[in-house]
Amino acid sequence: MKKATFPAILSTAIVCYVFWLLITGQLVSLIQGKPAVQQLLAGLIVSIGVALFSARFFIHENPFYLFNPAKFGSLLAYIPVFLVELTKANIDVAKRALSPRLPVNPGIVKVPVGLESEYGQSMLANSITLTPGTITMDVVEQDEKTYYYIHWIDVASEDPEEAGEAIKGTLERGVRRIWK
Amino acid sequence: MRIVVDILIAFSAFFAFAGVVGMLRMPDSFCRMQSSTNVSTFGVLGVIIGGALYAGFFLGNAEMVVKILLLGVFYIVTSPISGHAIAKGAYRHGVKMTEDAVCDKYGEDME
Repeated sequence: MKKATFPAILSTAIVCYVFWLLITGQLVSLIQGKPAVQQLLAGLIVSIGVALFSARFFIHENPFYLFNPAKFGSLLAYIPVFLVELTKANIDVAKRALSPRLPVNPGIVKVPVGLESEYGQSMLANSITLTPGTITMDVVEQDEKTYYYIHWIDVASEDPEEAGEAIKGTLERGVRRIWK
Repeated sequence: MRIVVDILIAFSAFFAFAGVVGMLRMPDSFCRMQSSTNVSTFGVLGVIIGGALYAGFFLGNAEMVVKILLLGVFYIVTSPISGHAIAKGAYRHGVKMTEDAVCDKYGEDME
């Protein structure tokens, strides 16, 4: 198991603390200028404790990568791209489910992925799973290349390249602008 | 504004309905999961946004808006992970795909 580095612990603690502030509603009272010091301190201690134990599971690369404005901009630009794909896929699957003939053509295909960063790979895999009609089942590395096994509800092509383009072409281009 | 909230929630309800119908009709477990992502994306997204708008404009409760949007964020982050885990677990456990399945590269490569 990889050892946790200081930036990894710091970034995990910050994320935990931000969520603590949001969920307990402290952020709103901070803005109104009447903070509850006891709760703020308790949250800080708990977040640091959680980060010490869990950082090594989450962060293996540079956690402050997204502070680069260009990269952050492409992350924001990815959201509409993803929403368009999500809408198309949602309508498609809803149509399939409601149509009387139930036109499904399922299968598991293997597609190559050209991303190196762990964050990018998991982001793409999660985007694929979140789009109806495709579920990422496993990620493997063979001969220095990464492959996804994807369960696809309407297999249009068994060829890895063509299937990859059909499933994740647009999404992968969006993700590649953010991560290497 | 009230109309926007209503439309969002009705829109969600439609996709949730389609997802459930699909879940009942699909031929095997994996296809059922595909249909269930229908519920878990648009089915939830519309309700979350509609609820946040309602809390913001009609109840005027900023804390509630933040919490509802957080629910949405957590939902988007966690639901694909559980979907992935369930699909992989089911396959490894021996759940069969439907006989009409076109190809099964995962099974071929595992042998």
